[in-house]
Formats: sequence, structure tokens, C-alpha cells
Amino acid sequence: MQISTTRFGNITVDESRVIQMKGGGILGFEHFKKYVFLTQNEKIPFMWFQSVDDGSIAFVVINPFIIAPEYDLMISDNDTRFLEIESPDDVVLMSLVTIRSDPLKITANLRAPIVINRKNRLGKQVVLNEPDYPVQYSLTVDSVSTEVSLPDSEENLSDIKNLFTAL
Amino acid sequence: MLILTRKLGESIRIGNEIKITISDIKGRQIRVGIEAPEGMSVHREEVYEMIQKQNVLAAELDMGHDDNLSNLWTQLTKKEKEK
Repeated sequence: MQISTTRFGNITVDESRVIQMKGGGILGFEHFKKYVFLTQNEKIPFMWFQSVDDGSIAFVVINPFIIAPEYDLMISDNDTRFLEIESPDDVVLMSLVTIRSDPLKITANLRAPIVINRKNRLGKQVVLNEPDYPVQYSLTVDSVSTEVSLPDSEENLSDIKNLFTAL
Repeated sequence: MLILTRKLGESIRIGNEIKITISDIKGRQIRVGIEAPEGMSVHREEVYEMIQKQNVLAAELDMGHDDNLSNLWTQLTKKEKEK
């Protein structure tokens, strides 16, 4: 299918890679239900989470475990049933990244990750109550390259290879 | 706005699927039990607002002239190395 985006122009994505956001979707963006992952460079951990319904809406996302290796979370039974998650291997987690004009002020939302079932591509923004992770987790303080060594090149995104579309 | 008075243990129904029960009252604090359909998000108002605000900020991302994530990553990792 063709989608027309503000940032990347017209792009073709396989319908089987469309993520369907359920249960209110991304809070504040409830009307937009369908998204696709877009990558510009598979060697870096950032990706785009592009709305299919509105081409002007796109988020930058990152796998939270890359920036916060101690991250752990509990997905409620309610949510696992809702997303039809059968095993932890089904789960793909992404944090929404906030980028300001100063790139050093970049933060990721660890409090409300996007939880996706890779098998049926249903997703939901889950708000974690315990533990109390920050909404604005800085990507520059004690994170990124100093302490975290990124997996080699393509391995970075290999486990979600069939979910994203390269630009 | 509808305002109802309820006693401890009493409930309110919203539509067919939502039930809110007053389960405990201690001074100025009230504990409520909420039964809602699976997948329906229930949040404390201040938490909901905080997440929503952050999502809007994230969508307004400012990357200057280009939308290249590689450049962003390079900038980020380079700055770290300089420290």
C-alpha cells in the first residue's frame, strides 16, 4: 500500500507490516490507529513510528533496553489478553523519543512504552505504575555509547526485521 | 457534570460495562474500585495528562532542517565520547 507522508513523501509499505494500535492508541492521538515502523539506517537504534492515517504524524522510537539496560516491566494480564500475547517472545517494546532543538536534550518515555505483539501486530501504549519510570529519561546522561555497547550492525534490529520498512 | 452521593460499598454504573465502587474512605482519601472492559485504559488524571503532554511533545519533534536519524545518533554518541 502507498502512504503519503510529510517527511518522507510517498512510500510503499507492505500491509502485513502495519501496526494496529488499540485501547486508545497513543494517548492524545486516539484517532490514529495505524502505524508503520520506518528505518533510515539499520545500524542505529532509532526508528520512525509513522502514522498511516495522517502523514504528518510521526514519532521517533527506540528500544528501551538499549538505553536503559536495567529496564524491566510488568505487563498486566489484562493487557496481555487484550493484545493476545502468548509468550514474552511475542512482545516488542518501543519508547517514544522527544527531540528538542538541542539534540543533547533528547529524552525517551520509559513510563509509557508502546507494547506490540509481533505476531498479530496489535499495539498499545501501556502506562506503567510500578516502578516509577521517568517520562523524560535522558539519553545523554550515563546512557548511549558510554555504557551501552550496541549490538553489531544489523543485529540491532534483527528481531523485528519483519515489522519495519526501510526508507 | 453529574454529581452523585454514594456511601461506602455503593457503586455507580456507566453504560453497561463500567462499574465504579467506593471501596474505602479515610479522611480526604477515597479508594475506588473500577471494573471496565479489557483494553479500556483507566488512568489517574494527572498521569494521563503527563503522558499525553509528553506524546504531543514527542510528535512536535524538532530536528532542524533534516529528519535524518543517523545524524542525530552520530551527534549523540560523538558528544558522549568527548566528555
